Amino acid sequence: MLPEGIGGLGMERGMPKSFVVRRCARLCVILLALVSGCVTERDKISAMEDVSSAFRVEYEHILAEDGTHTYDVSRDEAFEALRVAFGRLGMQLADQSPDLGYLSVYAPAPMPLTRDEWRQAAQADLPKMREIAAHHVGLLSWFVAFEPEGLNIVVNATAIKVRGGTAISLTMRMRETAPPKSGYPRREYAPPTGVRMGLRKIWTAIELELPPSSRRVP
Amino acid sequence: MTDDGYPDALPRGYHLHWYLLERVLGQGGFGITYLARDTNLDQRVAIKEYLPTEVARRRDDASVRARTEEHDERYRWGLERFIREARTLARFDHPNIVRVLSVFEFNNTAYMVMRFEEGSNLAAILEQRRTLPEGELLRILPPILDGLELVHNAGFIHRDIKPDNIHIRADGSPVLLDFGSARQPVGHSPSMTILVAPGYAPFEQYYSSGESQGPWTDIYGLGATCYRAISGVAPMDAIARSKGVLGSAREVLVPAKTVGAGRYSERLLAAIDHALEFAERDRPQSIAEWRRELPGAAEQPEARPAVAQPSQAPSGESPAPAVAGAPQRAALGRGWPFWVAVGAVVALIALAVAMRFYKLEPTPPQETPEQLQKRLAKLEQQMADDRKRQADALKQQQDEERKRQDEQQKSEQERQRQLKAQAEAERKQQEELARRQKLAQQADAERKRREAQTRKLQEQQRQPEKAPQQTAPSARPAPSPPAELLAKADHDYAAGKYADAVAALKPLAEGGNAGAQRNLARAYAQGHGVAKDAAVAASWYRKAALQGNSTAQLELGGMYANGRGVPQNDFEAYVWYSAAARCGSAAAKAQQERIAKTLQPMEIAQAGKLVANLPPCAAGSQ
Repeated sequence: MLPEGIGGLGMERGMPKSFVVRRCARLCVILLALVSGCVTERDKISAMEDVSSAFRVEYEHILAEDGTHTYDVSRDEAFEALRVAFGRLGMQLADQSPDLGYLSVYAPAPMPLTRDEWRQAAQADLPKMREIAAHHVGLLSWFVAFEPEGLNIVVNATAIKVRGGTAISLTMRMRETAPPKSGYPRREYAPPTGVRMGLRKIWTAIELELPPSSRRVP
Repeated sequence: MTDDGYPDALPRGYHLHWYLLERVLGQGGFGITYLARDTNLDQRVAIKEYLPTEVARRRDDASVRARTEEHDERYRWGLERFIREARTLARFDHPNIVRVLSVFEFNNTAYMVMRFEEGSNLAAILEQRRTLPEGELLRILPPILDGLELVHNAGFIHRDIKPDNIHIRADGSPVLLDFGSARQPVGHSPSMTILVAPGYAPFEQYYSSGESQGPWTDIYGLGATCYRAISGVAPMDAIARSKGVLGSAREVLVPAKTVGAGRYSERLLAAIDHALEFAERDRPQSIAEWRRELPGAAEQPEARPAVAQPSQAPSGESPAPAVAGAPQRAALGRGWPFWVAVGAVVALIALAVAMRFYKLEPTPPQETPEQLQKRLAKLEQQMADDRKRQADALKQQQDEERKRQDEQQKSEQERQRQLKAQAEAERKQQEELARRQKLAQQADAERKRREAQTRKLQEQQRQPEKAPQQTAPSARPAPSPPAELLAKADHDYAAGKYADAVAALKPLAEGGNAGAQRNLARAYAQGHGVAKDAAVAASWYRKAALQGNSTAQLELGGMYANGRGVPQNDFEAYVWYSAAARCGSAAAKAQQERIAKTLQPMEIAQAGKLVANLPPCAAGSQ
């Protein structure tokens, strides 16, 4: 006997069971296709906009705490330390203006993090990202992932002379170099844990290039 | 190993036995088609390579392999289908069906060799001309019907009739291409089995029931192709039509009779509308039946189309049996599986929408038809609201873009106006300096003349007194040497004596004169008196900008914004526009606001600190 309800789909009692199974399998296939199909590009964009906003708030909070360090060195010394430190981290020079005190570097993601560090960051931030995305794309949020492929990490660094030394400031953004495999739009802001870990690595590298005890104000 | 844009393709000049590959003609989900030369017969051929990218990939040794072991079975199964299909097609020798010359296995895949047809694709012709007149359409259609009838009579259906698959030879005769591509291999993949051309595929192809497909499926494709040729657009997709048919949406196909009224004969339009009937049972059931409806066909008594039964298909190797059990289904009411599927699709759309909004709840088993109707109506309303929201968002985006472009245009006009005003002011200043110089020279000449007179007088009076060493005061104090040189250089530049101007500007610029640096940068940027060099121009603008010269700052901002002479860098563009805006440049202010939209707030703050650290605006630098 067929369960109640199958008849409601237009199948009649007494049909061969294998026929019903085939029909049900076919319907499942159509269901899957429709679930994917019902999520529009606008939904995906909205999901990523919300994720980006949430990440932006955390990013600004992190930079307010740890985005600027002041060292008791000249601007030239600080600038040289920046150049060497970024080189050691494997980042390439995009643009520099030593007389202005500005340096821009980039590297393919996940640099300056290693793959392992990127995975750690993803483990920490992915649940939150999926939770936010789920409001727009439902179950398809499970397909959202951090994809280092096709992204560059861009760091802007400035060295400005201040009273008693030089203030170094860092900002960080992701820039797309190839379209994402997932089909989801890219975010501009890196995951917060990734930002924290990246900043820590960069400051450590810079401080290795500066005279000991030159750091004055965190 | 790539042809441009086809990373998976074999390279040009590659030898497949005695076929020499010349270029890629196209690539689809199941393979790549090449233009090649048969070096034995010295003629061009088209070769289709089996390469279903979903399950297989090209290796460095040019062979094709399944992506993983799990994919291997599907890949092998598809490969066999590909070869069987080629063998089947090779049996058809009809002038309006692409001629298959050979098939062979190589590189762990298979290659179908076909006659290469010169001419144009119907899709390309329609893209260019939008519509075809009735006479032309009726010259293309009958030969295609003849070829297709042969295929149907042998127990096969094409399943992918659309303008892209109809080729028009140089002599105007059509040829039908790409048989079986809609039913291409890799059969276990749901995304493959329902692969159809939206607009050209009837509804029965979406739910992929082989039993409900037949000649009427290809007739729908032909009707849709004709619809495209008379209206300029493909008919609405069958899934969208299904909503209209069920009354859950107002999306109903505008009939050919309406679209083509007055331009095409009623008979042709009626035949197209008949071919495009939504339910397969309502369409002509055979090519012969449909042919009789077309203009020019003699009226004939109704006859059952001669369509092969599956048993007539060649030795059980049919990739697409045409009309299995069709007469029986007609007798019993052929449409019931179709309506089952329609019902299922609508229910599933509702379910999917519900999941999307996280409101998935199992439908109560006791739900009445009224409740179901209400629930569907609500979901439809949500979908309509969604569509409206998207349209509003798009409109808003377009408005913002238009506004941004207007602002950009205005700020560019303002910048041009300021530059013009500046050039005019400089010209006037140079004229004034030249006038003063002339006066000074006249005064000097007068002084010298008087001195000479005095000396002469003294000599005449034999007084041994020396001429005074101090010069007589001139009409005004002589300008300081750099300012004088700069003025002269500017004058020369304005007069078109670029080489003289640059020669005068260089030592001044190297000596640190911001005005000279800015003007030398301009000479390099414009290529006046020196070879045009944006990078050198940028370096001189930078030197002047760092001294607070706002014109140089504005120009340098523009160079960074456009990546001219320096790497494109919105951050640095913002820094220099901000610096110039701080000195009162309205053009710089507008550009600063434009660029700010591309930066993070933290980057703007970071740039602001750099600007604050720059020297103050240089007087008169505007």
